[in-house]
Amino acid sequence: MAEISWPWQYNFPPFFTIQPHTETRTKQLEAWQGLITDYLKATKQSTIDVRESQNSPLFNNGTINRKLSQEAIVTVLEHMAKSGRASPLDKSKNVWEVYWHSLDEWGNMIYSWACDNGLNNSVCTLFELREGEDSADQEFHGLDMNILIKALKTLEMKGRCEVMDFEDNQGVKFI
Amino acid sequence: MRRRAGVGAIQKQRLEQEKYREKGSEIQENQFQQMSKQLDVFRENLEEFALKHKNEIKKNAQFRRQFQEMCAAIGVDPLASGKGFWSVLGIGDFYYELGVQIVEVCLATNYKNGGLITLDELRTRLIAARGKAKKHQEITNEDLLAAVKKLRIFGNGFTVVPIGKGKWLVQSVPGELNLDQTLVLQKASSLGTAWVSLSILTGDLGWNETRAQNALNHMVKEGLAWVDTQDANETLYWFPSMFAECVSA
Repeated sequence: MAEISWPWQYNFPPFFTIQPHTETRTKQLEAWQGLITDYLKATKQSTIDVRESQNSPLFNNGTINRKLSQEAIVTVLEHMAKSGRASPLDKSKNVWEVYWHSLDEWGNMIYSWACDNGLNNSVCTLFELREGEDSADQEFHGLDMNILIKALKTLEMKGRCEVMDFEDNQGVKFI
Repeated sequence: MRRRAGVGAIQKQRLEQEKYREKGSEIQENQFQQMSKQLDVFRENLEEFALKHKNEIKKNAQFRRQFQEMCAAIGVDPLASGKGFWSVLGIGDFYYELGVQIVEVCLATNYKNGGLITLDELRTRLIAARGKAKKHQEITNEDLLAAVKKLRIFGNGFTVVPIGKGKWLVQSVPGELNLDQTLVLQKASSLGTAWVSLSILTGDLGWNETRAQNALNHMVKEGLAWVDTQDANETLYWFPSMFAECVSA
């Protein structure tokens, strides 16, 4: 089990029932969003499969005998999607990608790192970005490949970089 | 046959009555003067006492309470007036300051307790917020209650709800709790579980189901209670303001 400090809500039984009252529900969903993000970050995961995750300690607190139902998990993820913190990978909304930061934030983070290191106008491979020594202290170090590419694509849309394909490798040129 | 009273007797009687009345008001005035003289002396002494022990009153919680009680006994409210000699004392200021801090704590914890906080939690947080200096530490529940009462002038936004056994909740959202809702809170507090259910209200309080459900629904609608549908028997209604981990979070 991951070493994270569980928020007080995790031991609060009604936290596992989606609240009927709008204001309370907003508080609840915000708390879930924070918890899910922290948990995935600590366990270095970036996807949630709704069908399987019910048994994960994240959604199942055995101590108080409460778990978040599949529909409830989807409700939480849909709430996260509204702020760009998650998006479904399939149409039936079973598998979700979760972003510790929104793609936009990731993109900006990588770009400002590139600027700080004088990488403008030079090309580096995605491998270098994810596992290179230069980025070892960066939060995006070791980021899921799919998410990394998506983040760079948002950056590309803003004209800050160009994503390019080599033979069996991908690279990026910062502008 | 009885003789009728003559005019002379009637006049005599009236004269006597007048004399009595005069004497009466004379005595009354005398007493009044004496009383007000006594009160003046007392007030002077009280003022002198308060000035002399100003620091003591501010610092020592027990002393403060006794002083409050003394003032209450003779109908003086040291908090009522920001002007005159009492303001020199700064006793009112002490409570105004507390009041502001109470509002701050209530607003800061609103996101998790929905605007309902136990007096104990309020006190703990307040003391933490006031800093470590020893003179800040001695805030009693009585001080807090006195300060919250002063917040009444802002309307019904801040109210104290007694939940029995010397415990209080401070409600910092507009909208008054009705008697039934107060009873629900008292029940949850006395059970010490932080939750209640329909069967507890109907069983322990002898309410019918409609009455119990109405009270519970209303508290959910006010954002004070959270619904938990995963209990084996029935729906539970939880109050984060009484949930230990929420209080210490």
